[in-house]
Amino acid sequence: MLEYSEPIAKLIDEFKKLPGIGQKNAQRLVFFILRKSKEDVESLAKSLLEVKEKIKICSVCNNLTDIDPCFYCTSPDRDRSVICIVEEPYNLVAIEKTRSYKGLYHILHGALSPIRRIKPDDLKLSNLFPRLKPENNQMITVKEIIIATNPTTEGEATAHYIANLIKPLGIRVTRIATGMPVGSDLEFVDEVTMDKALANRHEI
Amino acid sequence: MHLVSIEVSNFRNLKGVFCFEQGLNIIFGENGQGKTNCIEAIYFLATTRSFRTTNLSEMIAFGENFLSVSGKVVVSKEIQKEIEVRLEGKRKSFLVNGKKVKVNEYLENLDAVIFNANELEIVRGSPEARRNFLDSGITAIYPAYLRTLLDYNRCLKQKNALLEEAQKHDTAFDKVATMIEPWNEQIVSLASRIHKLRVRYVERLSKALQNQFFNNEFIKIRYVSSLEGKGDLSNYSSTLRERLSLRLGAEIAAGHSLVGVHRDDLEITVNDRDLKKFGSSGQQRSALLLLLIAKIEVYRQQNGYYPLFLIDDIDSELDYERISKLLELLEGKTQTFVTTSKTSFLDKFASKGKIITLKRGEVFSQSLTK
Ligand SMILES: [Zn+2]
Repeated sequence: MLEYSEPIAKLIDEFKKLPGIGQKNAQRLVFFILRKSKEDVESLAKSLLEVKEKIKICSVCNNLTDIDPCFYCTSPDRDRSVICIVEEPYNLVAIEKTRSYKGLYHILHGALSPIRRIKPDDLKLSNLFPRLKPENNQMITVKEIIIATNPTTEGEATAHYIANLIKPLGIRVTRIATGMPVGSDLEFVDEVTMDKALANRHEI
Repeated sequence: MHLVSIEVSNFRNLKGVFCFEQGLNIIFGENGQGKTNCIEAIYFLATTRSFRTTNLSEMIAFGENFLSVSGKVVVSKEIQKEIEVRLEGKRKSFLVNGKKVKVNEYLENLDAVIFNANELEIVRGSPEARRNFLDSGITAIYPAYLRTLLDYNRCLKQKNALLEEAQKHDTAFDKVATMIEPWNEQIVSLASRIHKLRVRYVERLSKALQNQFFNNEFIKIRYVSSLEGKGDLSNYSSTLRERLSLRLGAEIAAGHSLVGVHRDDLEITVNDRDLKKFGSSGQQRSALLLLLIAKIEVYRQQNGYYPLFLIDDIDSELDYERISKLLELLEGKTQTFVTTSKTSFLDKFASKGKIITLKRGEVFSQSLTK
C-alpha cells in the first residue's frame, strides 16, 4: 500500500485519537482541511488553542467555564437550596434545555467503573461537601440533592454511592427515574423525557 | 406466518434464490454443497445472528466486503413483507419493505429456533447452557428482559473487578463493603427480576411439556435457585441481600462473585431420574426436542405464531423413529427446515415435504410443490 507523506500521516494519526474517528474518517477530515483556505485552517487551529487556554473547571461545581466560579454558581436567579449532580458537562446542557430546573449543579466528570479503574477518588466529588455548608453557599441551606447520573449500571452505582454519603447529613436525596429509557445515556434523552424525569424523581 | 423465499448475496458459497414450502423443507446435498450455509442464512435472516460463529464476518464470501440476505415473509393472506439484513464488515443494517429500520423493529418480523449438535449442551452440558436456553426463550417473548440480563452481567463484571482488586491488595473489609454495596444493591433488584421471570417461564414450559412424550418418556423440569435451602425464596430479594452480605468475606477471598442467579440451574428429569447423569443419549435427544417444542409453544402463546424450526444434519443426531415422531409433533404448526446428506432419509420422508437439492451452493433441483 502507498504511504501518505509524513505531514498527512501525522495529522491522520492525530485525528484518530479523537473519539469515534477511525482511519477512514481521519483521512476524510485531512483531505477536507487540505481543500480549505489558509484563513479557515488558521481559525480552526486558533479555536482549538483558545478552548484549551480559556476554558477551565469551575472551582465550585466543576462545570467547564471561562469565568470562575461559573455562570450558574454566581447567578442570582438560581435556587441555591437544590443541587443537581450529573456525570458530564453535556448532561448539564441537556437539563438546562428543559428550562424547568433552576437550581445549582455539581459535575462529577465520570461515573464509578471498577472495570475501567474509576474509583470514587477519581470523581470530582470531594468539593461537593463544603458546598453543603450555608457559610459556603451565600448563607443558604441546601435542602435537596438530585442525582441525575446516567441510567446505566455505572450511573446507578454512582448514585447509590453518593446517596449513602449524603443521607447521614440529613439532606433529602432524590434520583431522577421515570420515563428514562433504561440503559440509555442522558446525552441522547430528549428534552420532554428529561423534563418528565426531573418531575418524577424519587427518594433514594 | 411463513418464509416464502430467500435471496442471498455473498453469503459463504451460496448463490441465488431459494424457495420454500409452508410445512417441511428438506435441504439435501452432499457434504460441502451448502446445506448448513442455507439454514444459517435463514437463521441469520430471522435472528440477525449465526448458530455457528460469533464472528459474523466469517459469513461474507471470500474476497467480498459485504453480504445480504433478503426474504419474502407471508404474515397473513393480505400481508406480505420483504425483509433484508445486510452485513458490511461488522456493521449490520436492517430493511423492511425497502425501508431502513432499527433492529428491534426488524426482529418483530421473523424468529427461528435451531436444533443441532451444539444444542445438546442443554441436556448434557454445563448449567450455563441451560440458563442460556431459558434466557433466550424469555427474551423471545419479552424483549425488555435482555436489558435486565445485560445490566446484571455488567454489574457482576464490575463487582468482580472490585473483588479481584480487593483480594490482590488485601483491602480493609469495611472499605470493600462500601465499594461493593452500590453494585450489590443493583444485583439484588436485577437478580430478583431475572429469578421471577425464569421461574415463571419454567412454569409455562412445564405446562407445554405435559402430554408430550417419546416412547413413554416423561420429561419434567424445575428451576433450581442457587439460594435453595438458604432462606425464604418467596421473598427472594431480601434472602439474596442477606446472603450477599453474609458471603462477602468468602467472595473477597475467592476474588470473584459467588452469589446470584448466574449460579442457578434448570433441573431436567426423565421418568423422575436426572437426565444429565442417568439419561441415555437417545433420551437426552428426545428431551431436547421436547424442550424446544415446549419453547416454541410458549412462544406461540405469546406472539401468536410459531418461529421457524431449523434442524441441521437431522439424521446424524436423531434416529428415524424420533424423526417421525418429531415431524408428527411439528406438522401443521411450524415451518420446518432440515438438512440431510442421506438418500435413505429421502426414501423415508420425501412424501412429507419439499426436497431442495443443493450443488455448489445453488439449487440443483427441487421437488414440485404439493
Ligand atoms: Zn460552577
